[in-house]
Amino acid sequence: MAMEDIKKAIVEFAETNKKTKFYFKDIEKAVQKVIPDAKMREIKKACTELINDGTLIYFSTGSSTMYGLKGRGMTEDPE
Amino acid sequence: MAFEPKEPQKEIKYSEMRIYTDEELNNYTEEELKNFKIKHDIPDLEELEKGPWPSFVSDAKQGALHRRKLADDRMLIDRDVIEDMLGQLQVSFNDGETHWKHGGIVGVFGYGGGVIGRYSDLPEKFPSIAHFHTIRVNQPASKFYNTDFLRTICDLWEYRGSGMMNLHGSTGDLVLLGTTTEQLEPIFFELTNELDQDLGGSGSNLRTPSCCIGKARCEFACYDTQDLSYELTTYYQDELHRPAFPYKFKFKFDGCPNGCVASIARADMSFIGTWRDEIRIDQDAVQGYIAGDFAPNGGAFAGRDWGKFDIQKEVIDLCPSKCMKYEDGVLTIDNSECVRCMHCINTMPRALKPGKDTGISILCGAKAPILEGAQMSTLIVPFMKLEPPYDNVKEFIEKVWEFWMEEGKNRERLGELIQRFGLPKFLEIMELPPAPQMVKMPRENPYIFWKEEDVPGGWDRDIKDYRARHKR
Repeated sequence: MAMEDIKKAIVEFAETNKKTKFYFKDIEKAVQKVIPDAKMREIKKACTELINDGTLIYFSTGSSTMYGLKGRGMTEDPE
Repeated sequence: MAFEPKEPQKEIKYSEMRIYTDEELNNYTEEELKNFKIKHDIPDLEELEKGPWPSFVSDAKQGALHRRKLADDRMLIDRDVIEDMLGQLQVSFNDGETHWKHGGIVGVFGYGGGVIGRYSDLPEKFPSIAHFHTIRVNQPASKFYNTDFLRTICDLWEYRGSGMMNLHGSTGDLVLLGTTTEQLEPIFFELTNELDQDLGGSGSNLRTPSCCIGKARCEFACYDTQDLSYELTTYYQDELHRPAFPYKFKFKFDGCPNGCVASIARADMSFIGTWRDEIRIDQDAVQGYIAGDFAPNGGAFAGRDWGKFDIQKEVIDLCPSKCMKYEDGVLTIDNSECVRCMHCINTMPRALKPGKDTGISILCGAKAPILEGAQMSTLIVPFMKLEPPYDNVKEFIEKVWEFWMEEGKNRERLGELIQRFGLPKFLEIMELPPAPQMVKMPRENPYIFWKEEDVPGGWDRDIKDYRARHKR
């Protein structure tokens, strides 16, 4: 159940934030604001599940990686 | 002892996997290559072909000619990719700035690393490299592979990519340069399912661990670098492929302080083989070197006559901590002062060997200059014994990660974090007692300050009383 709450918090944060790409740290902070006792490992696992079901996507510059919500901001290859 | 893999391994046979025939692979003559001109003018690049060194421009031209002569259905991305790459590089030379853009949503499903998006910012002029992504392939430990494997990878890359590779990238990966987004998943499928081969690391994750040649070929190796590298690669798969670190993190494994993978300069966590007993001395072999029976330095530097081997000049006097003596025909070493520079062992490998009680030193924090300047690693664990499955190492790693993931800012490397917090604080968090080995010159620049509770009896100091006797 806790996992579902964390996922919800992540998606909410990703939908409402001004930015469209997030460092993991910022996601972690945002989730812990809503669910103070959420552990970093659990948040990471929730992110991975959201990636696997296609809600979130990775955005990589090659040197650092960020997360984004699919469909929000630039989420397809520039053509 | 024969090599026994922990899990059954697939034997890759090029004869079964090959895509191209010999005729297709050798499809041009030397004469054709000499007269070959790519479709763009590249005067500055051609300058790079002059001089005594091999040039990537010459290599790229060979690839370009090879692609020109292949049949249309023998490659899945544009024929002109190499020519356009060279053309764009010439434009960059003219402009003095790069025309590559990087980053984006490219990747294979479920992986956050391994593929680096690259795009040309001159897509009208160089349409074939508008999308030109890089793929990192995890190299085997110590980069041992057979030609069947390499040729199979080359064929796959020729067919689904540009055919250009960089062996090896700084982290050791095989770097496949240039393909389109549509080819990523098929390449990933073939690498993993057909070749039993994983992608390497990129982005904010654990980068492909890399190790020296270790016990496989080297008598100096103080631990099995390949085994530790392989074990940590498989154990930390999640960290390798699903990034959640503040920034990149690198492990490198050197079997001895010679540091053939330069872990001390390049890895956030360097594992360097060492010993805690005494350097083994074979006095007869020492005499052999002095008498000229054995060539010093294992016969290296033999290109000219350096004169008779002089143990005083070439070994004793060069010891950085002056802990060696050669008197009355006997070589002695004060091992407590040895700083593991390896010079004496390298010079007289028959006479001197690392001790028998071996293990590792762990150093943390090396990095290249990106956000801040370059840094070498700092010694954190002077000595640790090793035994599979390396639980003590994993425990240390996870403690460091926990601290870094908690306190590290976005894009802050471990070395920068340690600098920001200070080494004493870092040691405190790691629950490690400060040791003289951690300081370059323990008697001159100690950085550890005692706290009152550390000192038996504590201390009392009346600052007013002190100031009465000492002016500010």
